[in-house]
Amino acid sequence: MFDSSSEGLFYGIDRVALLLYVALVAVGLLCITAASYDERIDDVFSMSHFYMKQLMWIGISWTVALVLLLIDEKYFHMWAYPAYILGIASLVAVLMFGREVNGARAWFQLGDVRIQPVEFAKIATALTLARVMSAYSFSISRPSDIVKVAVVIMLPLGIIILQNDTGSGVVLCSFLFVLYREGLSRAICMPLVLIVFLFIFSFILEPLALFLVLLAALVVYSAARSGRWSAHVRFMAFTLLCSLLLSVATPLSGYASLMIVCGVEAAVLIIAAVQNKAYEILWLTAMFIGSMIFVPTTDYIFDNVLKPHQRDRVLSFVGMKSDPLGIDYNVNQSQIAIGSGGFAGKGFMEGTQIRYNFVPEKHTDFIFCTLGEEWGFVGTIAVLGLFIALILRLMKMGERIKEPFGRIYCYCVAAILLFHVMVNVGMTIGLMPVMGIPLPLMSYGGSSLVAFTMLIIIAIRLDASTRQDAANI
Amino acid sequence: MKFERASLQRYATLRWIVAAVFVALALRLCYIQLIDTKYKDLATSNIIRRVVEYPSRGEVLDRRGEYLVQSRECYDVMVIAGEIPHEGFDTMRMAAILDITPERLRSQIDKARRYPRAPFLVTNYVPQQAKLAFDECYFKGFYTVFRTARQYPRKIGGNLLGYVGEVSERDIKRWPYYSAGDYIGIGGVESAYEVELRGRKGVKVETTDTHGAVKGSYMDGAFDTLPVNGRRLISTIDARLQAFAEELMEGKIGAVVAIEPSSGEILVMASSPTYDPDELVGRQRGNHYMTLQENVRQPLFNRAVKSKYPPGSTFKLVQGLIGMQEGVLHSSDLHPCHEGFVVGKRKVKCHSHRSPVDLRDAVATSCNAYFCYVFKDIITNPKYGGVRRGLEVWREYVESFGFGRTLDSDFIGEGVGNVPSTEDYDRMYNGRWNWGTPISLSIGQGEMGCTPLQMANLAAIVANRGYYYIPHIVKHIEGCDSLDARFYQRQYTKVDSRYFEPIVEGMWRGVNVWGTSRGAELPGLDVCGKTGTAQNPHGKDHSTFLSFAPKDNPRIAISVYVENGGFGATIALPIASLIEELYLTDTIRRPEMLRYVKEHTVYYPYYDKLNAKKNRK
Repeated sequence: MFDSSSEGLFYGIDRVALLLYVALVAVGLLCITAASYDERIDDVFSMSHFYMKQLMWIGISWTVALVLLLIDEKYFHMWAYPAYILGIASLVAVLMFGREVNGARAWFQLGDVRIQPVEFAKIATALTLARVMSAYSFSISRPSDIVKVAVVIMLPLGIIILQNDTGSGVVLCSFLFVLYREGLSRAICMPLVLIVFLFIFSFILEPLALFLVLLAALVVYSAARSGRWSAHVRFMAFTLLCSLLLSVATPLSGYASLMIVCGVEAAVLIIAAVQNKAYEILWLTAMFIGSMIFVPTTDYIFDNVLKPHQRDRVLSFVGMKSDPLGIDYNVNQSQIAIGSGGFAGKGFMEGTQIRYNFVPEKHTDFIFCTLGEEWGFVGTIAVLGLFIALILRLMKMGERIKEPFGRIYCYCVAAILLFHVMVNVGMTIGLMPVMGIPLPLMSYGGSSLVAFTMLIIIAIRLDASTRQDAANI
Repeated sequence: MKFERASLQRYATLRWIVAAVFVALALRLCYIQLIDTKYKDLATSNIIRRVVEYPSRGEVLDRRGEYLVQSRECYDVMVIAGEIPHEGFDTMRMAAILDITPERLRSQIDKARRYPRAPFLVTNYVPQQAKLAFDECYFKGFYTVFRTARQYPRKIGGNLLGYVGEVSERDIKRWPYYSAGDYIGIGGVESAYEVELRGRKGVKVETTDTHGAVKGSYMDGAFDTLPVNGRRLISTIDARLQAFAEELMEGKIGAVVAIEPSSGEILVMASSPTYDPDELVGRQRGNHYMTLQENVRQPLFNRAVKSKYPPGSTFKLVQGLIGMQEGVLHSSDLHPCHEGFVVGKRKVKCHSHRSPVDLRDAVATSCNAYFCYVFKDIITNPKYGGVRRGLEVWREYVESFGFGRTLDSDFIGEGVGNVPSTEDYDRMYNGRWNWGTPISLSIGQGEMGCTPLQMANLAAIVANRGYYYIPHIVKHIEGCDSLDARFYQRQYTKVDSRYFEPIVEGMWRGVNVWGTSRGAELPGLDVCGKTGTAQNPHGKDHSTFLSFAPKDNPRIAISVYVENGGFGATIALPIASLIEELYLTDTIRRPEMLRYVKEHTVYYPYYDKLNAKKNRK
């Protein structure tokens, strides 16, 4: 399977992953060209074109990639902690001395170049997480170790949120994905996932609808686990009927009636669960009650904790401010761009939405619009295909690395990529709030390109060395 | 091995999650790119532009149909920075047309470029002529929006009418109707009747092509709304009388309020010094506003409804009425006056006049001692067992006359004045006080404070013999059958109407037989009046006069207050008398009095001192 005779640089390298990476960078460059080509500049090779700048960044990235491939894998393990400390220090420094762009203090300005330390902090956090969790004495089921993991993740997250760059901060939550793979108990994972779910979707759905969805989800989950479908259907029907009767017979609102009925049922369930020692039901019920309390809390947080521009972004997403020239203008125009691309797209440099500046940030955060408008459904599905292939490949690489360090790191990279793609593409098509995070490898921007290159190349390097070892034995 | 299997299971679950995320994204892409065709249409007819259409603000007329406030057409010039052509445009020419400096124009456009797709206000108050010239040039990316500006043909009633300004952040937060750049009424009629005057904004949703040219209305105007013009108000003000009152008050600080007793309609409400309301319109509004704001004589302060003046002797009317109602005074009761009334070591002084006098003559001659006896008898009435309760009862009476509280008129920001309570005295004197302590109240001095509107209302109460209609400034709102019901209800005082006759008689005698108000006599009109000379800590006494006419079926009740004007008869009386004369006879037959009033200037060392202090700073 491997050409064991060649001892060169690319020996043991996962070529599929590398190819996927190169393909995404190439498509990205194409889209940046289309999005930002300025006819007013006569010289096609002028460095004032964004695509020339991106080309330069690609050159830098690949140089860094070569260096990383030359480094022995043990150094990544060794450098994890120093990198982490450096990362935290740079985050604090940018908080104090950084430059503010769009309300977020997240950039260092060096001459003409802006550097966003957050992107590099992700690498450091991934390495550190891998090192902490791969320690011999580490056990994911031990509370003190869970706390350790939480600290590693929450420390940079806290600083990033202080920078007012919530989008980039929330990316770190994607490490939950890794923790789940490493055996974190469902009892911890599910509430955390539930919180994220509720926080996002409580802005889209009415409280009543949200409750019905949640109730249905829990009942289906419980039914799937126990296999007693008819009993669960009857339970659901009973609950809905009672709530309906209550809301018709009394002046209570639908939401209040459902809450009362569910509250009574929850009380009965808890008593029964305690008597029968059915702890699964107990914590399912507890989670449900928790969410009932959580929904009004998110409302409170929304009204009192979020900054106005964050609130606007979330509101824009929910469509509550539907002024075509107001806040959700970006999302509206970006959907028009993608939607108008149709099946085959309008062709390279032919997108009207993009060419006439209707989509803002079309070469950075909204690069997916350029793709969608000019290359249509074919293009968007192809690029999503490349991303899913890369993510699944990274997970596969992780599974085949026998050492926990490499596996955990690969999963971290997969998780970061997944989150970025989900949120970035989601926001351009109106499925997610506008969070201001780039599309990996494709969005214009030096920090982001170099950082994602490093993330992926380190994963490939770690994978390559285990395969070299396997071949040498 | 068990752990291994669990790991594999989790690996499988995670792959499913990844797949699910991508399926969700792919489905949504499939929907917007393949199924829903509306995005294609939107992209071709891009972009939707919402143009707000402003209604014309309602105009205000006086009671005879003369314009007090008119709406004049003017335009806002807006820009959508993203649509300005790359090669630029003739900024010098545009600046000349719009009458702004080229620097200002450039800085405005730089600001607009921050939001290249959002309309941005370049300048406002562009007159119609300039607008036409502007339209002829067809500057790409710029357009004009119809607005209305206020204009005041008679230049009267600044504080009364209020003005129109841009909404503040706070207004926008409070009322969702407003958005940045909207106008809102501030003060006076403009603010009190804001909802009626402003009308309702309309909106036109237009589609433009990718070059910014308007292509037509969006969805055949399904989302368009027409602006609804503001309602026209007919005010109760008599413009001729208002202008006359303002003219007479020139050079004096104070206020004039006249009310039609039979309806509570305010005929005149002049606060002096006043200002030219036209100054608070247009681009220079801010500068003029600052100048007025800095003036120590406070022209922006509506003294007619907000100040707190001691009513002085005019308040004796109320004392007499309460005394009779309480049964401690009969109109024929005589009280001696030896140029004053002694309380312990203090003495409330009085001028020399014949003694003793009955109630009618006490009103006519404005005897201080008489009303000290009356007040003492009210609050020391044995049936209340103490001064404390006596004063409380007295206070309830006074409040029924509209003092110490707002009258609930349609004027926003009405002052309450001050009627001291037992608690106030407890606080001031540590609980140790007797009937002599508040004795100054008997002649409307001391802690007593009231607005000229409240005093005019007192005149109306006496004219009506015991009740009033809530004073109001609007007579009719276009499209409404009636005003708020409260303006049609009689508000009774706690004094029976039969006790008013001796007081009215006293006021009539003071003007027509002998007394302090002789100068206000108008042959055949049976004027009734009461002078007031109020001591105050700011220098010379305040001059005030309270009057109504004719004695039977009164048509006008008036209160004039001139700060530091001296005796009531010195200046307040002639002003009130002239206004009554003009209102009741349509002519002025006393040119010498008119000349006297116009030439009479009151000196204000207090304000001058303030001014000097300010300048030193």
